[in-house]
Amino acid sequence: MTAYLIRRILALVPVLAVVVSVAFLLIHLIPGDPVSVMLGPDATPAQIQAARHALGLDRPLPEQLLKFYARVLRGDLGRSYFLDRPVTQALLERAEPTLVLTLSALLVAIVIGVPSGIVAAAQPGSLWDRTLMLAALLGVCVPGFWLSLNFIYLFAVRLGWLPAAGYASIFVDPVAALRYMVLPAVSLGFSQSALIARISRSCMLEALQQDYIRTARAKGLSHATVTWVHAFRNALVPVVTVIGITMAILIGGAVVTEIVFNIPGLGRLIISAVLRRDYPVVQGVILATATAYVLINLGVDMLYVFIDPRIRYE
Amino acid sequence: MAPGTFLRGFVALVAILLSASSVAAAETPKRGGVLRVGNLGEPPALDAHWTTASITETLTNHVYEGLYSLDASNRPTPMLAESHTVSKDGLTYTFKLRQGIKFHNGKEMTSEDVVPSLARWGKQSIYGKALFAQVADWRAVDTYTVEMKLKEKSAIVLISLAVPNNFGAIYPKEIAEKFPPEVKATEWVGTGPFKLAEWKPDQYIRMVRFDEYRSRNEQPNGYGGGKTAWLDEIRWIPVPEVATRVAQVETGELEFADDLNLDAYERLKKNPNARTIISKPYYWLVAVFNKKEGLMTNAKLRQAWQAAIDIEPIMKNVAGGHAEFYRMDSSLAPVEIAAWHTKLAGLPWNEHNREKARRLMKEAGYKSEPIRFMTTQEYKWMYDFALLTKQQLEDVGFTIDLQVVDWATLVKRRNNPKEYDAFTTGIGAAYDPTHHVYLTASWPGWTTDEDIGRLQAELARETDPKKRMALWEMQTRQFYEKVPVIRYGDLFGLRAMRTSMKGFNEKTERIRFYNVWLDK
Repeated sequence: MTAYLIRRILALVPVLAVVVSVAFLLIHLIPGDPVSVMLGPDATPAQIQAARHALGLDRPLPEQLLKFYARVLRGDLGRSYFLDRPVTQALLERAEPTLVLTLSALLVAIVIGVPSGIVAAAQPGSLWDRTLMLAALLGVCVPGFWLSLNFIYLFAVRLGWLPAAGYASIFVDPVAALRYMVLPAVSLGFSQSALIARISRSCMLEALQQDYIRTARAKGLSHATVTWVHAFRNALVPVVTVIGITMAILIGGAVVTEIVFNIPGLGRLIISAVLRRDYPVVQGVILATATAYVLINLGVDMLYVFIDPRIRYE
Repeated sequence: MAPGTFLRGFVALVAILLSASSVAAAETPKRGGVLRVGNLGEPPALDAHWTTASITETLTNHVYEGLYSLDASNRPTPMLAESHTVSKDGLTYTFKLRQGIKFHNGKEMTSEDVVPSLARWGKQSIYGKALFAQVADWRAVDTYTVEMKLKEKSAIVLISLAVPNNFGAIYPKEIAEKFPPEVKATEWVGTGPFKLAEWKPDQYIRMVRFDEYRSRNEQPNGYGGGKTAWLDEIRWIPVPEVATRVAQVETGELEFADDLNLDAYERLKKNPNARTIISKPYYWLVAVFNKKEGLMTNAKLRQAWQAAIDIEPIMKNVAGGHAEFYRMDSSLAPVEIAAWHTKLAGLPWNEHNREKARRLMKEAGYKSEPIRFMTTQEYKWMYDFALLTKQQLEDVGFTIDLQVVDWATLVKRRNNPKEYDAFTTGIGAAYDPTHHVYLTASWPGWTTDEDIGRLQAELARETDPKKRMALWEMQTRQFYEKVPVIRYGDLFGLRAMRTSMKGFNEKTERIRFYNVWLDK
């Protein structure tokens, strides 16, 4: 198990190296120039040239890439052109909002998704099943953007129950933090719950048709015990996989939600960094989310051992 | 006197007194409170000398001041300067500085700070560079006097020192000397009514009242005159999503939001707690031609484009059908810049004359080669007017290759003459005839025409206002003949504020929150 873990962690290195290089090349190959954005619309070519030189952007691309590798190996992700601070600091500042949003949206997704899947699977073809699965289909189809804006209009503008947008740290003001987080977590969690519900349903359906379920029923166990202890635990592995993937997607991909609800997280950071061509920040966010992605997957793989004792890693 | 008359009279009198006192109460500014302002995004810098970005202009004008500012009619009015004198030959300007003005760090502002600040500005700012190109010597005479010696007579000394964009902010000597002009300053100390307290990128910028601020004694006038910081704090919150900015004004989470989509206009107007403001002049829409390389170096083809377009339907569409949000005008300076607004008849503007366009295209020898027209969807109005222009031009036989890119790409590419034939942008208020960037050779599109350049040079030298106006009218006629760019109509912006916000000057182009107070 330990040997396996070490191997998996070592395998991170080439993955991240590829990610870092691709990120570097992609952002430098698209046209656009951070300096023109920063100096404003009326800057002269001479001013632009001077500022490009000051940032080292006039060096050949391979040279810039090598310098970038050298810095990353020392744990230095560079300095943001725009934000006047090291990229690592910018990432750390944005990590809390993104993590809070991810975890609360995930909680909403699980609380909605898993029970609906199980209830639907318990009586396949019933009115419950069809209603829940239709809702899940809607959840997948409705654009997050549209849903978020309608939530804001209804709950903030019309009813005035919750603030429209913003963020407060849970460590500073937990009540305000909760009020700010409800709408984004629900609108993001609702769309993500759809996939979890559908996977839960199909895995439960499969598990419920197994021989050991019939045996358990024949032994006279209660319906609840059969469903939750025998069927659910066996259906759990793919569900956990999907939850893990969802979490990884949320960490790097809650972009729209962060923008609409004005949450200062990593998603907003990368969008603004791309628009401003703040290369070091774009590379830093990609590196950070890729690392998180790989680590979450590793964590999910480790969880399998506890869910299903038959799984062993050598 | 009939019985009851007295009583009725008394009641009426009391009513009048009551209403008068309540009006007076409503009009008496209150100190305190936090004003929350939703803006588009992060400023690239808070160094006023360093960038022309309008968000930097708005923010820095609360923290710093220059020697001059603009009054309500957009003419120079003294700010940190007390007065100035000009020598008889017009070559020496002597400025007296106000005394007892404190920087936010407690130090007194003197000529020791003014000289290096404006020297730095003169090397980096577009307005500073234009002015300092004419300066022979710039020095301190004594603690409160500075002197500018010119190489030739200049019409642009005061106006250059007064423009709010990329402006000649006075920094303490230590900061002005520490940061070379091409390196953005990252220490922010000014003399303005608010001082920078905290900058958390993508979360907020906090500016707090500067208690030792010494206001001028005049009444507020445009950007200039007396300034009072009634507010404890201005909190600038970047809210990139426009629909969210609208919603937050409706809910009261923001007191003020700028750059709103015109489709929110009706909804905001119905809200009793919100007030909509139409911001003028905002921009005139422009198609800028590449006059260095490619098809549009041909003046006849540029004239054909000018002759073909029908501007009103384009403007109406861009303004979302709201007549309040656009204006048809051929003057290069908008009405708001009263001193330079022209009313010339017979200009070939908005002709929508297809025959003329076709004839000019033929004379230009144009054979339906594709014209690369660059635009962006980041600014919806740019994309809309580019699309409508394409349709109109194709109706007369042009082939337009509309290239839609993001804004960062557009501002990069427009510096490369090989990459485009025309691009979209907006022309904001220029306060002097020499500040129209599209008439210069260094700005993208490269207006290198010698006649245009000659008139620009004359305008920079001529100091007699009447003669300058005559030159400017000549330049306007020349503009419509040479067509360095296409002038469409004026588009206005939409901003909104809570009705609890008082004392806001709705007339200035850019927002200012000194003299603003909260009635809560």
